[in-house]
Amino acid sequence: MTLLTEPDNRTAAPRARSVRSRNFALTVPALVLLVVFFILPVVSLLLRSVMEPEPGLDNYRALLGSTTYLKIFLNTFSVSALVTIVTLAIGFPVAWALAIMPSRWASIVFAVLLLSMWTNLLTRTYAWMVLLQRTGVINKTLMGLGLISEPLPLVNNLVGVTIGMTYIMLPFIILPLYGVIRKIDPAILQAAALCGATRRQALTRILIPLAAPGMVSGALMVFVMSLGYFVTPALLGGTANMMLAELIAQFVQSLVNWGMGGAAALVLLIVTLTLYAVQLRLFGTARMEGR
Amino acid sequence: MTAPFLHIRGLRKDYGIVNAVKDVNLTVERGEFMTFLGPSGSGKSTTLYILAGFENPTAGDILLNGESLIATPSHKRNIGMVFQRYTLFPHLSVGENIAFPLKVRRWGKAAIDARVRKMLQLVRLEGFEDRKPAQMSGGQQQRVALARALAYDPPVLLMDEPLSALDKKLREEIQHEIRRIHQETEVTILYVTHDQEEALRLSDRIAVFSKGVIDQIGTGPELYADPATRFVAEFIGDSDFVTCRILSAKDGRADLSIGAGASISGVPVHGTAVAGGTAALMLRPERLSLRREAAREGTSGLSASVTDITFLGSSIHVAAAAPSGETISVRLPFGHEATSGLSRGDTVSLDFDPETAHVFCG
Ligand SMILES: Nc1ncnc2c1ncn2[C@@H]1O[C@H](COP(=O)(O)OP(=O)(O)OP(=O)(O)O)[C@@H](O)[C@H]1O
Ligand SMILES: [Mg+2]
Repeated sequence: MTLLTEPDNRTAAPRARSVRSRNFALTVPALVLLVVFFILPVVSLLLRSVMEPEPGLDNYRALLGSTTYLKIFLNTFSVSALVTIVTLAIGFPVAWALAIMPSRWASIVFAVLLLSMWTNLLTRTYAWMVLLQRTGVINKTLMGLGLISEPLPLVNNLVGVTIGMTYIMLPFIILPLYGVIRKIDPAILQAAALCGATRRQALTRILIPLAAPGMVSGALMVFVMSLGYFVTPALLGGTANMMLAELIAQFVQSLVNWGMGGAAALVLLIVTLTLYAVQLRLFGTARMEGR
Repeated sequence: MTAPFLHIRGLRKDYGIVNAVKDVNLTVERGEFMTFLGPSGSGKSTTLYILAGFENPTAGDILLNGESLIATPSHKRNIGMVFQRYTLFPHLSVGENIAFPLKVRRWGKAAIDARVRKMLQLVRLEGFEDRKPAQMSGGQQQRVALARALAYDPPVLLMDEPLSALDKKLREEIQHEIRRIHQETEVTILYVTHDQEEALRLSDRIAVFSKGVIDQIGTGPELYADPATRFVAEFIGDSDFVTCRILSAKDGRADLSIGAGASISGVPVHGTAVAGGTAALMLRPERLSLRREAAREGTSGLSASVTDITFLGSSIHVAAAAPSGETISVRLPFGHEATSGLSRGDTVSLDFDPETAHVFCG
């Protein structure tokens, strides 16, 4: 009788296992979806990159052996790095201000940030084109004020890409940084001040080291997203600084060369995964030992 | 006349319409251990934060060695502070935490190392240099915070309820450490607490805060024996209050009567006593003696009936109801002859020395 009313440990353990396997069963549809829509395309691209036009590593050899393509790789990395640095430089003070401002104001700023994220990417990029072009609002204002006599070249070059991409990437750095900075007890900074630290010393020796995990994960996200960005560089950048995504689009759309397109995409994927692994290694499990 | 070491003068702080500190005046001598004692919201922390430079006073001034501190920013005040919350820098080791104020002062490496070692010795945490704050207990973290705050030899050390997050036993242990460190370093300490026992154990003098002002400043025994207000009497030591009627008052002494009882003369009086008016007579449980008969004519006693008897180990606690219905507590040593055979409902006489009682008017 007691066996029926009080299941003991021996029966409880297999039950837990069966619950787990039933829970696993629930994830099967999602896994199927993942395989069909994400893994299969990647695998087929990988296959085409080594099979077309004929089996071998010719596509990779062509991609990595040509200075033209290497320049595009290099350009992609340097533009992404520049965007990451500018985003971080603007994002950190904004996140810091958000963390210390009254929460009512902060929620207004967040609403604006989210609203901009939800606005169509193409619309936002065109809006920047309108602002930055030779006859755009910025040039007209500066000329009207007599600050410049010739319109500044703000689009179809590195400046345009950096401005447009920084704007799009900002929320991705502000949100994680805000989360990290909010968790820092203001009393720690008060203690630093009483210890004799100037604002600058408190910033460089306490605040930035404490915010480092947020900075690294935000920066990495921005860098990786920038590596694969297409719309903004295509519209605001010039032909002189083409990025990898544009090259892939050209291979596939204009040249119908799936082999080369696949190879370029795969190189991008490998770089991305490597960076992700590095971040996990540095900040994944242990994070900051102090907290 | 030389200026006092630390002088707080007419200090006031408003947050919008909230008046956190009304008018605080205080002088502290070099090397003194001064405690701010008071209930929650009485303005203790605010006063300390103004001293630290985190807040600007609405009015008033703070003078250290005769010079105003108000215009000096926190990082140039050279004041030490231990906070209620744990404020060690989490990404730095214990040693690096203590070295931090010395590094920003650009001390040499050898001097820093020697100083860190000395500080760790002072707080008895030798060998913990390389630990991260997260690997230390709360009590150890506060000791490191103390070492960090003392590393640069500040003239004044502020402590805002540094032990309130710790359990009672650990708290007492660290109280002893703080006393020893105060004696060894001779640093001037301003200490905030709302625990009267802690205040009594640690301080040279105590400033009792109430609603943004200091009600009374004095040593523990002074505050206990001679409270200036009913608030102080309630806050320091145990006390009961019995309503009485003032018969006459002169030279800080009053004659009074309780209910229909006899007159009691020569009780120290505080506030403006009006003959015929009512007032509160303060009685301390350990200052009453108990006799098992109704109060006699001509003694400073009142009749009461026993309502409860509690055995508390070394002492016995007797609760008795005065004729007015108010409860008076008496604490007697265990085995006191008056307690043998005492039971509820017995009529007893509670006697006291008028000098040790106090009357508060208004
Ligand atoms: N930044 C602030 N804004 C508005 N009111 C404040 C602020 N800081 C303190 N107060 C108010 O000022 C009063 C005194 O606060 P304070 O922190 O000095 O009290 P305290 O004596 O330290 O109390 P506790 O024992 O609870 O720490 C309180 O009523 C508090 O609500
Ligand atoms: Mg406080």
